[in-house]
Amino acid sequence: MRSRCLQLFCLAFLTGLQPVSAAAIPQVWWANQPLNVSADSAATIDEFIQQKLAFKGLQSSPPASRRDLIRRVTFDLTGLPPSPEEVAQFLSDTSPNAYGRLLDRLLNSPHYGEQWARHWLDLARYSDTKGYVYAREESRYVHSSSYRDWVVSALNQDMGYDRFVLLQLAADQLEAPESAHLAAMGFLTLGRRFLGVTHDIIDDRIDVVTQSLLGLTVACARCHDHKFDPIPTADYYSLYGIFQNSLERLVPAGRGSPDADFNQELSKRQSTLTKTQAQRKHEQEDRVRTRIKDHLLAQFELDRYPEENFGQLLSENDLNPIFVRRWQSLIDRSKQEPSSLFSLWHAYTALPAQDYAKQAAFLKVRSGSALLNKAFATPPASKEEVATRYASILDAVRGQWQEQLKQKPDSTRLEDPDAEQWRQLLYGPESPCLIPAGHIANTELFYPINVVTELWRVQGEVDRWLMESPHAPAYATILEDRRQLGSSRIFLRGSPSNKGAEVPRRFLQAIAGANASPFTQGSGRLELAQAIVNPSNPLTARVLVNRVWMHHFGQGLVRTSSDFGTRTPSPEHLELLDWLALRFMQDGWSLKKLHRLILSSQTYQQSTAGPVAEDLLAKAQIKDPENRLLWRMNPHRLTFEEWRDAWLTASGSLDIRLGGRSLELFHPDNRRRTLYATVDRANLANAFRTFDFANPDLTIPKRTETIVPQQALFGMNHPFVAEQARSLIKRLQQHPAADNTARIVRLYELLFQRPPASHEVQASLDFLNQPEPEPAKERLTAKDWQYGMGTWNESAGRLEGFRRLPHFNGKAWQGGDRWPDVKHGWAQLTAEGGHPGNDRKHAVARRWTAPQEGLYHMHSSLNHEPKAGDGIRAFVGHSVKGQLLAASVHGSEVPLNLTSLTMKAGETIDFVVDIGGGLNSDQFLWAPVITLAGTTGSGGDQEGEQWDAKKDFPAPQVSELSPWEQLAQVLMLSNEFLFVD
Amino acid sequence: MMGLANLLGLETSAAAPREASHFQPKAKRIIHFFLNGGPSHVDTFDPKPALHRYAGKPLPQTRLTERKTGAAFPSPFQFQRYGQSGIEVSELFSKTAQHIDDIAVIRSMQAQVPNHEPSLMLMNCGDSVQARPSLGSWLLYGLGSENENLPGFVSMCPGGYPIKSTENWQSAFLPGVYQGTYVDSLHRTVDRLIENIRSPHATTAGQRRQLDLLKQINLEHQQSRLDSRLNARIQSYELAFRMQTEAADAFDVSRESKEVQAMYGTHVHGRQTLIARRLLERGVRFVQLWHGAGQPWDNHEKIEENHRKLAAEIDQPIAALLTDLKQRGMLEDTLVIWGGEFGRTPTVELSGNTSKLGRDHNHYGFSVWMAGGGIKGGTVYGSTDEFGFAAQENPTSIHDLHATILHLMGLDHEQLTYRYAGRDFRLTDVHGDVIRRILA
Repeated sequence: MRSRCLQLFCLAFLTGLQPVSAAAIPQVWWANQPLNVSADSAATIDEFIQQKLAFKGLQSSPPASRRDLIRRVTFDLTGLPPSPEEVAQFLSDTSPNAYGRLLDRLLNSPHYGEQWARHWLDLARYSDTKGYVYAREESRYVHSSSYRDWVVSALNQDMGYDRFVLLQLAADQLEAPESAHLAAMGFLTLGRRFLGVTHDIIDDRIDVVTQSLLGLTVACARCHDHKFDPIPTADYYSLYGIFQNSLERLVPAGRGSPDADFNQELSKRQSTLTKTQAQRKHEQEDRVRTRIKDHLLAQFELDRYPEENFGQLLSENDLNPIFVRRWQSLIDRSKQEPSSLFSLWHAYTALPAQDYAKQAAFLKVRSGSALLNKAFATPPASKEEVATRYASILDAVRGQWQEQLKQKPDSTRLEDPDAEQWRQLLYGPESPCLIPAGHIANTELFYPINVVTELWRVQGEVDRWLMESPHAPAYATILEDRRQLGSSRIFLRGSPSNKGAEVPRRFLQAIAGANASPFTQGSGRLELAQAIVNPSNPLTARVLVNRVWMHHFGQGLVRTSSDFGTRTPSPEHLELLDWLALRFMQDGWSLKKLHRLILSSQTYQQSTAGPVAEDLLAKAQIKDPENRLLWRMNPHRLTFEEWRDAWLTASGSLDIRLGGRSLELFHPDNRRRTLYATVDRANLANAFRTFDFANPDLTIPKRTETIVPQQALFGMNHPFVAEQARSLIKRLQQHPAADNTARIVRLYELLFQRPPASHEVQASLDFLNQPEPEPAKERLTAKDWQYGMGTWNESAGRLEGFRRLPHFNGKAWQGGDRWPDVKHGWAQLTAEGGHPGNDRKHAVARRWTAPQEGLYHMHSSLNHEPKAGDGIRAFVGHSVKGQLLAASVHGSEVPLNLTSLTMKAGETIDFVVDIGGGLNSDQFLWAPVITLAGTTGSGGDQEGEQWDAKKDFPAPQVSELSPWEQLAQVLMLSNEFLFVD
Repeated sequence: MMGLANLLGLETSAAAPREASHFQPKAKRIIHFFLNGGPSHVDTFDPKPALHRYAGKPLPQTRLTERKTGAAFPSPFQFQRYGQSGIEVSELFSKTAQHIDDIAVIRSMQAQVPNHEPSLMLMNCGDSVQARPSLGSWLLYGLGSENENLPGFVSMCPGGYPIKSTENWQSAFLPGVYQGTYVDSLHRTVDRLIENIRSPHATTAGQRRQLDLLKQINLEHQQSRLDSRLNARIQSYELAFRMQTEAADAFDVSRESKEVQAMYGTHVHGRQTLIARRLLERGVRFVQLWHGAGQPWDNHEKIEENHRKLAAEIDQPIAALLTDLKQRGMLEDTLVIWGGEFGRTPTVELSGNTSKLGRDHNHYGFSVWMAGGGIKGGTVYGSTDEFGFAAQENPTSIHDLHATILHLMGLDHEQLTYRYAGRDFRLTDVHGDVIRRILA
């Protein structure tokens, strides 16, 4: 019954497919062929797997233990470990549907969406920032977290994958304003900004769409036809045309905020933005209209007006290449229309320079425009004169129009139809003088640099308000179709200045056939999305089920999960792939049903250990060392996110709230799931890089996996890990466990969800049997130093208003937990040096108090290294004698020494540093050493006592971990914790 | 050769380094002085006396650059012939010039656009726009590292990141392990130089005890399991433990004699160059030394004053390094590279109509030099036009430069590929010719 049904389904696809022209599509390969499941095929995943194993004479592994199983499937679906209680409950549940209920619970957990969203975000090259941008532009995206949260929520709701795709490409055309689903379009709009170069932004969008949704590498066809796949350059530019005709807009993705203050400030900032944009646009367009002659003359030296990837800093007086190029394009297009206003232009500018005037006199050309004919009543003497005559017509028409507007401000046209058609060149909807309305991201290239800076500033004001106000609702950056659609032409060898044939906006020929019809609605973006999820397109479902399979089993049925091109051989389990794809579509593109189907298989539930019989195991290892046929389950190594989240879970400190703005990975308050850590593509947290996090500049189908000492160093030495070990032990101590053994048992349960074996308990007890670390001993001389700030009074040569810096962070004395501190600014003193406060009133001072009367020497070297800024000032002041030494340093080092200074007990020496001129790069190194030469009158030959600023500085308060905490850390770093069987 | 492969324990062979040269390498390691911002070639290694004839007058032909420039601007610096080869070098690099007979100057380099960001990407990663692996990452992928206790690719920059920050040493689609390790050489203590190299919460002895227990637990766990990654991870902890000591040692220049320290100079550039030598000596594959945060060599104004100051900071360390490498017998298999992301215009930059006494960016022609492993010293390759505006004889692309560097390291730039997104990628894309005439 079932297989016949599938067969019918499949036939329907076959008949729906367009005839394939062999000439236009040179290659037909397995992945662009219809889904095909034969009538006598296997009926379950296990049958498919068993058939191939049997064929090779291999056997699968016995079922995994129930403890392994719950751990495996819980991590797999939620990215989190099961609690010891959940494990105990599952182990004691002997009913036949215990596993089914477990799947239900996990698939209904909100953490399911979080875990699988991360897989999707890898593909979507998700980042919270734009990549490298100039300082003028806000580098964070307003809409990143709303996209991320939308993905989580869509997955949790089990939105059909077809709709999931449609919304991400075209929610603007499917949803009402303020719909939460508008956030889906972050998929397209969260890529790198490429410093605003449109071609590259579009390329990135084509790449992410085709690789992640279709498993095709269309971006390869940007410069030349795809080398291996039947994807001609024309197809690339068909898609290019779709995105070129889509403009970005920042819109609310949800109801507005009820907070009146928020709204008032927002509308204030938005109105400044709108006004400034409109005004600058108007001014710039007029600037172009008043310099028509220059733009036309520029047509004869186009090489001086480069393409947009050649960044020039343009002032208001410069001709902007983009307008010169737009005039060029207008004039070019008019070649095809013999009756165009540029007919005389083409005739006269085609003449060779030699004997120009003579040849021009011979030329007898007239046009349909009386104004034009009048201007060319006499032949021009040079090409340049052609331009000036055209310009004079346009200038006259502009004057006429301005005059008319003064009389009749509501005019819409000039009376004279001839003059009106010239006016259209300046003011009409297709005028090359016009700047498209909208976001500065789309229009940056049209403006001089000072205006670009200004427009980003006012845009930034709005963006920052939306990102930083706690009352801001979700926002989305959507794409919208242009009102005036532009045609798309091939860029030969990828160069925008080298345009080839025009191509229709339509779907890929490799899927839709050589006669694919052009899209007709707007940019065609919605039609593209519909073509992608059309059941007759065999790639989308195949690619998706393969991805899901890959995340469950560690490897896809097709190993190159984003490349289903011709170089990828047909997978061993093609029929299984097709069977899954068909089931998936039949099940309404439901991901949760697909998970259940896969997770319910015996194949998924088998052990990672291989067949019990040694000969069978050996055979499997020889015949299929990569486990392609799945004779065992692949063990899973936790990703960085899973590892961090599992530590936080074990230590009891995980904050499980869903959604919201991202937070720095190691922000002191960040106890949230790693999914919510800031992904800054311009400066990705090192820990992310070290642990093979998905590169947010590229669509990543599968993370690389490395094991390197830098990862071990992180585990051993990073304060975050130590902090989790501490929290875990604190949690353990709260547990009313009677003795150490019981505590060790609990520790194992929290970390591994199993009790320890007796020898493991013993090993832990042995480890614990070591003395508690001693607190660091303070040197006797340490008490004679104080760390504070004050103001250096130059005329008195004394420090005034000395007060201690209130906060010690373990390495430095400063104003508070955060540095700089709101009140104390940058003021800081470390063992070796420090940083002065923000102005001359806030000097930092290391104060030494003489404990006894005597003769002292002081030896020191003051070093200010940075080249930037203007350096620092330093003073050595005595509480009675006043200023002893002074120095100004900038990028240099000076010795500051004193010999034979008599001090009475209780007198002080202040080592004072304040800023040079301004606050910039003022950090310094200065750690004086004071030696007691001898007590006064003793003859000065006694071995002196020494106060060393560096050695006397308080030892880091972050003390050694206790033996218990050390044990916890060891277990947290163990392979058992990191690898899931 | 000890490479990273045995640490990786990778199942996917694609991610493991190839660790094999295509042919006998001439150089085993590279140090790259990156004068970020763009040093002026006509003021350093490409003398243009013709500019004096046009001083203050417009050149017969100029080219479009990022900003507006005006009249010819002759170099304010004196050039002089050095060495047997008699190659002319300006006073800015008079100490480096003592080694000119070991140096091959390429005077006909070309980039693609006159902007820092794409040119930095092109020089470092071979592509102006797309996220592509950097030269150092390709080298690690191709050859592995010779010291597993140290990162194989180190980028030092005092005071912060250069423009484009970590993208300059990115691994892009290559595994993250091949990216450069950034070191802010303004710091002096090792825990601020390398992340996680010191434990704030454990003594060495305590950590050893922990690692012993960890090993014991991991070995038992491994017994019943089939997974090569388990052993790789056990090893990685032992390596990490050793790395703590070795890295501290490698970065500690105070272990050098006073004479050596004095030869390099004790300021930050002397120190970072000396650290670099210590790293190279220990088998680090590629060290990049940036001049400073941002783009210090970007002297749009007052170039005489600014270039003089900047050159003074690195001329002595570069010369010291060349001397030192030679004395240690390391120069013959160490490739030393000097250059920026582009050069500067021979015309003066204008602000309105006023001269800023500086030069704008110039990607049409500029100089890069190389010395050491496999380089024919005392060579000049290519030339710019009479005024230094554009490469004229033997225009040389960054791809050619990369092909040559890989060649010297024993790698064929057409064979060193990595499959990503359905395509085999190369550092040189589909371009690049080895510059045979500068090879020894």
